[in-house]
Amino acid sequence: MKMLRLSSSGLQGFAGTSLTPRDIIDYASALATHIQGGPVVVGRDTRYSSSMVYSAATSGLLNAGCDIIDLGICPTPMIQFAVRHYGAAAGLSITGGHKKAGWNSLNIINSEGSIFDPLSGQTVLDIFHSKDFLKADWKGMGKITQSDSFLLPYLDNLESCVNTEAIRAANFTVLMDPLGGAGAPYLTVFAERLGLKLVPINGDANGYLAREAEPRPRSAKQMASIIPYVKGDAGFLFSSDMVNMSLVTEKTEPKSEEYTFAVIANHILSKKQGTVVTNCCTSRMIDDISAQNKSPLVKTKVGQPYVLTTLADEQGVLGGEGNGVAVLPQAGPSFDGFIMTALVLEAMAENKATLSELVDALPSYYIVKKNVPCKSSKAYRALEHVEKIWRLDESADINIQDGLRIDSEHGWKYVRASRTEPMIRIISESKDQRLAEKEAEKIIRILEEVL
Amino acid sequence: MREALKVGISGVRGIVGKSFSPQVATEFAQAFGSFVGRGPVIVGRDTRTTGLMVENAVIAGLQSVGCQPILAGIVPTPTVLILVKELKARGGIAITASHNPAQWNALKFVGDNALFLNELRAEELISIYHAQDFSLVSESEIPQVTTIDAPMAPHYKAIENYVDFEKIRKKKYKVAIDCCNGVGAVHSVSFLRDHLGCEVVSVLDKPTGDFEREPEPTPESLTILCETIKQNQCDIGFAQDPDGDRLAIVDEKGVPLGEDFTLTLGIQQVLSAHGKGPVAVNLSSGKTVDYVAAQIGEKVIRTKIGEINVSETMLEIGAAAGGESNGGLIIPAVHACRDSYVSMAIILEMLADTGKSISALKASIPEYHIVKDKIRVSNDASLKILRAVRSHYQNEKLNLLDGVHVDFGDSWVHARRSNTEPVIRVMAEAPTKAKADELAKELRAIVTSNNLNQ
Repeated sequence: MKMLRLSSSGLQGFAGTSLTPRDIIDYASALATHIQGGPVVVGRDTRYSSSMVYSAATSGLLNAGCDIIDLGICPTPMIQFAVRHYGAAAGLSITGGHKKAGWNSLNIINSEGSIFDPLSGQTVLDIFHSKDFLKADWKGMGKITQSDSFLLPYLDNLESCVNTEAIRAANFTVLMDPLGGAGAPYLTVFAERLGLKLVPINGDANGYLAREAEPRPRSAKQMASIIPYVKGDAGFLFSSDMVNMSLVTEKTEPKSEEYTFAVIANHILSKKQGTVVTNCCTSRMIDDISAQNKSPLVKTKVGQPYVLTTLADEQGVLGGEGNGVAVLPQAGPSFDGFIMTALVLEAMAENKATLSELVDALPSYYIVKKNVPCKSSKAYRALEHVEKIWRLDESADINIQDGLRIDSEHGWKYVRASRTEPMIRIISESKDQRLAEKEAEKIIRILEEVL
Repeated sequence: MREALKVGISGVRGIVGKSFSPQVATEFAQAFGSFVGRGPVIVGRDTRTTGLMVENAVIAGLQSVGCQPILAGIVPTPTVLILVKELKARGGIAITASHNPAQWNALKFVGDNALFLNELRAEELISIYHAQDFSLVSESEIPQVTTIDAPMAPHYKAIENYVDFEKIRKKKYKVAIDCCNGVGAVHSVSFLRDHLGCEVVSVLDKPTGDFEREPEPTPESLTILCETIKQNQCDIGFAQDPDGDRLAIVDEKGVPLGEDFTLTLGIQQVLSAHGKGPVAVNLSSGKTVDYVAAQIGEKVIRTKIGEINVSETMLEIGAAAGGESNGGLIIPAVHACRDSYVSMAIILEMLADTGKSISALKASIPEYHIVKDKIRVSNDASLKILRAVRSHYQNEKLNLLDGVHVDFGDSWVHARRSNTEPVIRVMAEAPTKAKADELAKELRAIVTSNNLNQ
């Protein structure tokens, strides 16, 4: 199967089949054309295909006359910060993200450091399809400059957004697992800033995927087994690009990535009420936490650009999604694993609580997430079938903001075609574990009728 | 016409910003990687401003098909070939448009035999490109890029094994070098000073890729070098082309010898100081080569135009030396490719061996005069024209390898189709200018009278 995905926020492909240098050059050329040959900040993770993607993208940018500020191995949120720091016209993050080995992507960042919004991203796509690219002549070729001068300002910004003093005073021992990815080279400076005793896991930036790329409980076994021996206070698992994060408590319990946003929201809203923004398939924990803290909750389509745009529109105090991301508007428009780590540690320090105590204080739900493989060309037919079956129950109130969702007093269920991988994502949540599992299985059976 | 992408035996070339794009470069690299198979591939480039862009496109293309790019950086084209041999690589790609102007760039492909691709191999590569038949590898098989720390070392070592550096060092020659803002600007001063012990005066020695003279080292383009030699009283002057495979010589009085004398003197020195053997040159090379070979009693074989044709013939017949009259001396004992570095060393060794000045060495060879011209023709007419030339000279000694070459003993004429332009190239050489002009006029008349355009 040729797996190439173009969306408003970037290009995704699979090495060996669809991730061709030509498509990458064309896409980088389209971005360069869109920003009229302005300077671009480029960073990449450590996946084996990333250096190939980097070289291809670089040749496209240079050919259009873009000067490149090359950050080398660098996670997406830091690249987002660096775009603002250098006053660049755009940023490019090359990363496999949370996707499995073989995938890689070009994620495009605008001059404000945000992932491209759907409208501007569509313009880049239109240029990609027209192949009408800006070309410099031999005197106008772009140049490459290596730089890391963004790093100190980045850490200063991070420090200014959290209660560093309280975190330092707590003398935490922290386990961090960046999956040998883009975050790996920065763990030490981060830990030094916050006065942490760091225990890195998969901390060499070698691109070897020692576990599943999605930071989920099932990929946390390594970390959970080590925590007691190092007397760790908290464990953090990340995706290759430091965007998604999940938690492991000091009691060695790997928590669902849904808890990341919930722990941070419970902490931030207890200090400052205000609008919260999340997507339409995030745990009901967030609904409860917002209500308890008298904070309005706004729901968007799934994806970083939607949450960030709405967060800005609503002048909210916090945004986040159930796949292990949260954003504090004053820290910058990015989902940043380092800032999320600092916020969780701040919650522990300021509340003088262990991580398991913070988790136990949250409303208790049981969430089931399943993926069903499905060609993207068949996905919409499959979803139409689910909708038809659900509509047989006339009382069902189906929300179609992004995918299909039904809420009831017992819980909610949700089904959507993945934007990045050939699969259908299913989520079911309830206070009752058996009910949640039963509802998820029902959806899988409905899908099997058509697939 | 001149903006088209040119794909052929000598590689793929075009103007950046017009026909030569990163997309073309990356897909040719993919085709080349699929052609040579997975393994290391040497990548080198000249100083052109577009070189870094093209290098990145080539790297990505190679990696995508499982070839490990081994970067030599800015190096002469012959160095790329020598590195392929030294590191037992699958092949090499030289990113250079050689003597074309600065807005051009090109890929030249080197096979696992450390020679440029010959016609058959080049055809296969081009058909892989057209069929887009690329062997993409899965992520875990994508090799990472490596860089060579001292890329010139094997090249210099090969020259030092052949030429007596110590003898040259003792003479402490004062040498002027014109690097044409090309690869020579990075390497030549250090080669002449640190390896050959020369006092060096350099011009056009910034590696900007913005060539401050015509990239071909013809006599007319070397005025700065000639002036520098006079002002500094140098023993000799050398001029390179942008990728360092061709060399022209200027004498101690500031007079250019003409590029053909790099070949003639180089062959003379090889045959008299390094052992005998046959000589192979292309069909456009002049009579002075026959003169120096005959002195030693060696025969001269003439080959089709095109560097790889000369190289392959030389290896086949076990030639001691040869090359092209455009300043491209080839010494197979070092490597079977044109090389301005071994050329500089062998000419300096000749000065040391003979104790003569460079102008005296030239004066010892009888004078010949060459007339060159090109006549624009309709492509459909060219075969008819060449047949007419052939029948006109049918009673003479003919060589039909590449067009029609007619040998009259002390003079010759040659008519051939250009590989790159719709023209017939005509050449004539004779001991006197009057005779050469007369021969050229006769040949030109046959071409024009058979041209459909006239």
